[in-house]
Amino acid sequence: MHKLIQWMRRLEGWFGLAAAIFLTVGLYMALVTSPPDYYQGEVVRIMYIHVPFAQTSLLAYLVLFIGSLWYLWKKDPVVDNLSHAAAGVGAFFTVGELFTGSIWGKPAWNTWWTWDARLTSAFVLLLILMAYLMLRMFMDDREKEARYAAILAIIGFVDLPIVYFSVEWWRTLHQPLSVSQRGLAISQEILIPLIVMSIGFYLLFTYMIMVRTRMLYLGHLLEAKKGRLLSQAHL
Amino acid sequence: MSRVMTSFYIRWGVVLLITFVIAFLGFQRYQKDVASLTPDQILQNPSPNKVRVVGIIQGGSLTREDDSNRAFFLLQGVDKTLTVRYQGHDTDTLRDLKIVVVTGRLNAGTAELDGEAISLIPNYGFVVAAYLLGILPTFFFLFLMERKLRLLYTEVKEAKLYEPEAMDFDKE
Repeated sequence: MHKLIQWMRRLEGWFGLAAAIFLTVGLYMALVTSPPDYYQGEVVRIMYIHVPFAQTSLLAYLVLFIGSLWYLWKKDPVVDNLSHAAAGVGAFFTVGELFTGSIWGKPAWNTWWTWDARLTSAFVLLLILMAYLMLRMFMDDREKEARYAAILAIIGFVDLPIVYFSVEWWRTLHQPLSVSQRGLAISQEILIPLIVMSIGFYLLFTYMIMVRTRMLYLGHLLEAKKGRLLSQAHL
Repeated sequence: MSRVMTSFYIRWGVVLLITFVIAFLGFQRYQKDVASLTPDQILQNPSPNKVRVVGIIQGGSLTREDDSNRAFFLLQGVDKTLTVRYQGHDTDTLRDLKIVVVTGRLNAGTAELDGEAISLIPNYGFVVAAYLLGILPTFFFLFLMERKLRLLYTEVKEAKLYEPEAMDFDKE
């Protein structure tokens, strides 16, 4: 068995458990103990779920980018499975980011959606991930599929700094970075549940890509086996 | 059902249980700190306890006493109107036809509300929607992935992938 898969099998459960603990504590703080914001009131609670979704979607793309480079260098099919898994999970988290952001936008900005730089670049990120997943769905040659997908992911990486810095580079409706070189623009009572939820989401993401990588690996293994049996039966 | 699948469903049962407990605690906090009554409800069932009442400031009813942080207005419900005597912060933010939540006690003798604090409507429905749309699909997505992984694992095990292929054909 591949070393990466062995390593994942060994650590998967611990990441799952840690994610469950952090998310339980984080959700409890977010929905029960944290105070409402002076300006936004109760609606600020959406931040505890929207921001971790957004951070995790960027992390997922970073994993996809590094995995794609690694694959082009080593041509390791398990690394390709890892990149594929990161894209699937990343697309899910980006959809979550856009949905929760839209729900927050209505009471905060009085609109569900606006073509603001941050929102638009996040939407473009989702389109890149969808394109990546579609490419993987419709190609027959597995090696070609993996190579083209890796190249697409590397080109698409250009959107990542745009998503992150869009609120600094352009005048946007979206609020600027809360944690930056200017300092901390967020009170401690709100920051602590946010950090707990963010760590929970990072752990959950790690757990999810471990599960999905193994799922893709076993799927391909089974497919290869069936294919070999079939070819031998035909002989 | 195999042992692998039984432990998988038990684990997800625990996850669901924890989620329900947190949702219940969140609901309790909502009832305690956020939920508010309408002027109609408070006038129908007067309570000596501190209450939160949500309504619209009736047009033309607002009067302020300068430099004393006091305001007087009528809070409009569906059919009834509640008189509010407010003393506290932010009286300058009040205006006609604004929807506000007033926290205070109902004066049993005069049926007027002695307001102590004023806040905006909480829009808690958006919070609930964001959490439902965020957490439930995430759990469902993870549940499906884990389930598929276990089924694949069982299938791979049954297919005896790690045994030499020739043996499978020898048996046939």
